[in-house]
Amino acid sequence: MDNGTSNSASENETITLKSCDGIEFHIDARIANRYTLLNNWNGGESACIPNVNGKVLEKVLEWCEHHINDPQLNCGDDDSRRRNTIIEEWDENFLSCDQDMLFEIILAANYLEIKPLLDLGCKTVANMMKSKSPEEIRSAFNIDNDYTPEEEEQFRKENEWAEDY
Amino acid sequence: MIKLPNECLFEIFINLKGYNRNLFSCLLVNRQWCRNIIPILWSGPVPFYNRKFIRTCLSGLNVEEQTQLIPFEVILSNNPILLFDYTTYITTIDISSDNGIIDWLNHEGYRSHGLISYKYVAQSIKYSLVAMFLRTCIKLKDLNVHNIGCNKIMNLLAEILYKDTTLTSLSITSSNLDYEGEKIAVALCKNTTLTSLSLENNQLGLKDGKALAAALCKNTTLTSLYLYNNKLCSE
Repeated sequence: MDNGTSNSASENETITLKSCDGIEFHIDARIANRYTLLNNWNGGESACIPNVNGKVLEKVLEWCEHHINDPQLNCGDDDSRRRNTIIEEWDENFLSCDQDMLFEIILAANYLEIKPLLDLGCKTVANMMKSKSPEEIRSAFNIDNDYTPEEEEQFRKENEWAEDY
Repeated sequence: MIKLPNECLFEIFINLKGYNRNLFSCLLVNRQWCRNIIPILWSGPVPFYNRKFIRTCLSGLNVEEQTQLIPFEVILSNNPILLFDYTTYITTIDISSDNGIIDWLNHEGYRSHGLISYKYVAQSIKYSLVAMFLRTCIKLKDLNVHNIGCNKIMNLLAEILYKDTTLTSLSITSSNLDYEGEKIAVALCKNTTLTSLSLENNQLGLKDGKALAAALCKNTTLTSLYLYNNKLCSE
């Protein structure tokens, strides 16, 4: 990701971010330099990141810190970004949290435009869906079926070619 | 479950592209998931050789395309209107095998009447389907048709190439394009999207060859042209 900002922040420089429930985090300025949106809330006395609470922000920042030296990917290279299906062990452990937290992390990464974390979260959820029936997926993710029986049957019929292919 | 917005669901499901069985299970979960998955699943490549795929596509024929099949007494079962305009999402399709159509005919218990051969019926169904794809696939990038020597279809194809299109790769093979090659060549003069064109094994003659050579002087985007097994300089 090319963040277009200067990468000149030194190791000792820190910035302050505040979650929506008022918890402050002092982080390495290089993190904010990588993810432009984090920079927007830097240091403001009263400024806090809306929609992201302290618990989630802590996790997100923990991930950012661990990956501070990763090479940055090009924005436009969506396909190669996604094609990389391997999840590192550290990341796998990091995301072995409860499901609500996993979804909160995805929401926060999407909101804060931290693309590699968003990809990682989405990949993890996609892997959880593999080889499951619709009923198993509904129960794993606690989702209600809002189809009418007729509608569900018609969708099944119109798309069942995908089962053979 | 915390409700994820569509943009996040899309990011999740795009990881399952190509895993059609998994996408199929996910689309039956609920309506929101379905809306996000259909464009990914149908973007393709889609299996033209699959009977169930053919069945769904036949429900998308318009009146004119259905009318072409009346002489063969092909009964398109009274399916309700499709729940999605599925074919609008197709980006890649390979129409080189009639097996899906033949399987579908067998499965429906079709018996050909009089002197009309089974193969001819399958061919006619293919024409109607191709016409429907050319009418509805607004995102088509990669089209491969084999054995489609039908005047109407060639006119449609030439028309599409002539207009602005999304098509970047087109292959029309073994289709006996004698007399039709010129149409493609004329369209090629104007087309600005196609980068690869294959017209192999089509009985193209000297006249077609000249038209294509003239088109190449005007066309600025084509980078590959395959003309193996034609009669470009035999006369």
